[in-house]
Amino acid sequence: MRTHVLLVCVIGAAVAVAAAGARPSATPGVSGSEIHLGSSVPLSGEAAAGGSVARGADAYFKYVNARGGVLGRKIKFTYLDDGYDPSRAVNNAIRLVQQEQVFALFNTLGTNNNLAIRKFLNQQGVPQLFVASGATTFGRDYTAYPWTIGYIPPYSEEGKLYGKYILAHSKKPKIAVLYQNDDYGRDLLAGLRKGLGKKAGSIVAKVGYDPTSSDVQPQIAQLKSSKATMLCIFAFGKFSLQAFNGLNRVAWHPQVFVNDVSAASSLMIAVPQKAANGSISITFGKDPAAPIWAKDKGVKLFQSIWRKYGSDIRSIDYKDGYLVAGMASAYTMVDTLRKAGKNLTRQSVMRAATHLSERGNPFLLPNIVVRTTPSFRFPVTQVRLQRWRGRAWHPFGKLVSIKPG
Amino acid sequence: MPRVKLALEALAFLLLVAVVIVLPQVVSDFHARELAIVGMYFIALIGLNVLTGYSGQISLGHGAFMAIGGYTTAILISDHGMRDIWTIPVAGVVAGVAGLLVGLPALRLSGMYLALVTFGIAVAFPQVPKKYEHFMGGSSGKSTGLYKVELGFHTTPNRWLYYLTWAVALFLLAAAWALLRGKPGRTLQALRDSEVAALSSGVNVAVYKTAAFGISAFYAGVAGSLFAISSFLVTPETFAILLSVYLVVGLAAGGLGSLSGAIGGAALVFYLQNHADAVARWANHLPWLSVDPKQQGISSVVFGAVLIVIMLLLPTGAGGLLQRLLRPLTTRLYTRS
Repeated sequence: MRTHVLLVCVIGAAVAVAAAGARPSATPGVSGSEIHLGSSVPLSGEAAAGGSVARGADAYFKYVNARGGVLGRKIKFTYLDDGYDPSRAVNNAIRLVQQEQVFALFNTLGTNNNLAIRKFLNQQGVPQLFVASGATTFGRDYTAYPWTIGYIPPYSEEGKLYGKYILAHSKKPKIAVLYQNDDYGRDLLAGLRKGLGKKAGSIVAKVGYDPTSSDVQPQIAQLKSSKATMLCIFAFGKFSLQAFNGLNRVAWHPQVFVNDVSAASSLMIAVPQKAANGSISITFGKDPAAPIWAKDKGVKLFQSIWRKYGSDIRSIDYKDGYLVAGMASAYTMVDTLRKAGKNLTRQSVMRAATHLSERGNPFLLPNIVVRTTPSFRFPVTQVRLQRWRGRAWHPFGKLVSIKPG
Repeated sequence: MPRVKLALEALAFLLLVAVVIVLPQVVSDFHARELAIVGMYFIALIGLNVLTGYSGQISLGHGAFMAIGGYTTAILISDHGMRDIWTIPVAGVVAGVAGLLVGLPALRLSGMYLALVTFGIAVAFPQVPKKYEHFMGGSSGKSTGLYKVELGFHTTPNRWLYYLTWAVALFLLAAAWALLRGKPGRTLQALRDSEVAALSSGVNVAVYKTAAFGISAFYAGVAGSLFAISSFLVTPETFAILLSVYLVVGLAAGGLGSLSGAIGGAALVFYLQNHADAVARWANHLPWLSVDPKQQGISSVVFGAVLIVIMLLLPTGAGGLLQRLLRPLTTRLYTRS
């Protein structure tokens, strides 16, 4: 009898020790079979179209999971709706970190929203990976916010590129600017000024609008009176749509420059073509609506993944550039996780994210290299210019590097 | 009889204090933050109860007073480096003064007309921070920083927020109760029931009505201040027009004129806003219903449906229910003494 008790005790102790040893790791959101990522994007409201980046990423993760996952772990992706409102993004971030216990936040959308949650995530030591905002601060201020890294080309450099292009193609430019009056729009405007250099005075008029306002058409009419020959639209979603509609209404035909994130094909196709034709923007991801990529392998891959793993599929999805953009960053995310290795921790994923040298991302333009170092945190810094003509974007010129600094 | 009633109410209050102290020990850290937010709604609802439940003035604009409190806190923290907890009373006073100012013109209005004026304030307020961008941060919002454990407590930030909120809430509940159980409470109720009768019995109608507005706005300001602290930043959307409507919903669900019922109202407003999808998932299991919890707008439908059911079943709100449940006990106690 006594030996029995002893035996039970020994077995019990052994089981306890084994259980303690088998506990996968102390890293939240990572188990032997799963990596839990979270995101907060607008799925409702003015900027809901942008929320497709999360839907695209989700489909890509499911595709990766079906092929064995990342080093044996499946990716679970929880994305919540914030309606493009920073205070809801904060609630989502808290919920994802404290309730859902995610490993990292990935591709959260919006400059203000990412700014609102950055301090919290850095205090908690939760990686804020590949944010869907090109605000320069996300790549630049890594000493204060070591857990944050951007993804898309910095807005300041995008604005600078337009400025340089204008200088190269016009002797006496007269530029009007419509910009979103927050860190996002002001970043672009500051870049444009830098690009124009000594000729920054050729910006003859600029009008900001509030991101929660209802209409920007009055601003367009106001800008028209400046008699500018060029117009920069640094807007987002419905506001760029309204800007083009406004141009048509007041019969003003300047050379338009429209920044990348507000130049989605789906949006450009919906505005009066008279106003849209000839517009110039930049591109770094493959736009499934652009004829040049119609037969491209990457776009074909996107479409087949979406067909199999997409959610709430509509026929227009196959031309949705936001979905491809989401897949592009998801591709880099998977790469990063793989690089971080089997012993995945929040430190190891940050180390991997800041030592990237990724070639052949099928959803980005050919020859783009996603490259980062611990002191250079702008993963994508190569772009091409593109012109809108015949209801589609047409890239032109070479791949140019727009590295900040 | 009043002594028994007093003892009973004090006992109920002590019970509440005990529950508040024990609760964080049994829920997760994340839920402690959620319960803290319930506490913030509770504070706002106590204030609204003073105004609507007791003095009978309807306000559809209490979200704006919360916003004034929230912005006061944010500005004091980010521009003047004040510690967050010390901004709470200031925020309450600033909102209270705003309430007094609104209360003055409100003297000339009553019923629906007053409701409409206050509604107008709530609609207009979100535009103010956009106009004064340098001062109030525009639509990007104004940061309040991350809340930290203070006063030498050893706990998690979320539990700290919980204890802070509920300590304030219980203190303000006791204050409201002390104020309303005596002459001021009776006077306000007299005003509500018949202004003419109250006036002819020598009540200074103007003073009482304006004071009710000021006190009520003070409570809302304190709630807004805590709200700002809990969400790291305030934006015009933090205090959207819908918030004012939710407060009135919470007031009705909690029961007009019932201070303790307001806890029920606060919980309802918070959970229906944030966890309507859970209700939808549950409803989906009912055999004769098919609700897709993922569908857009489903949470609003659930919110509305639950509200209708509650108002049908409990026309006097949670407070009324409580009173009815306790009636056998209280009547016996009261008649015995």
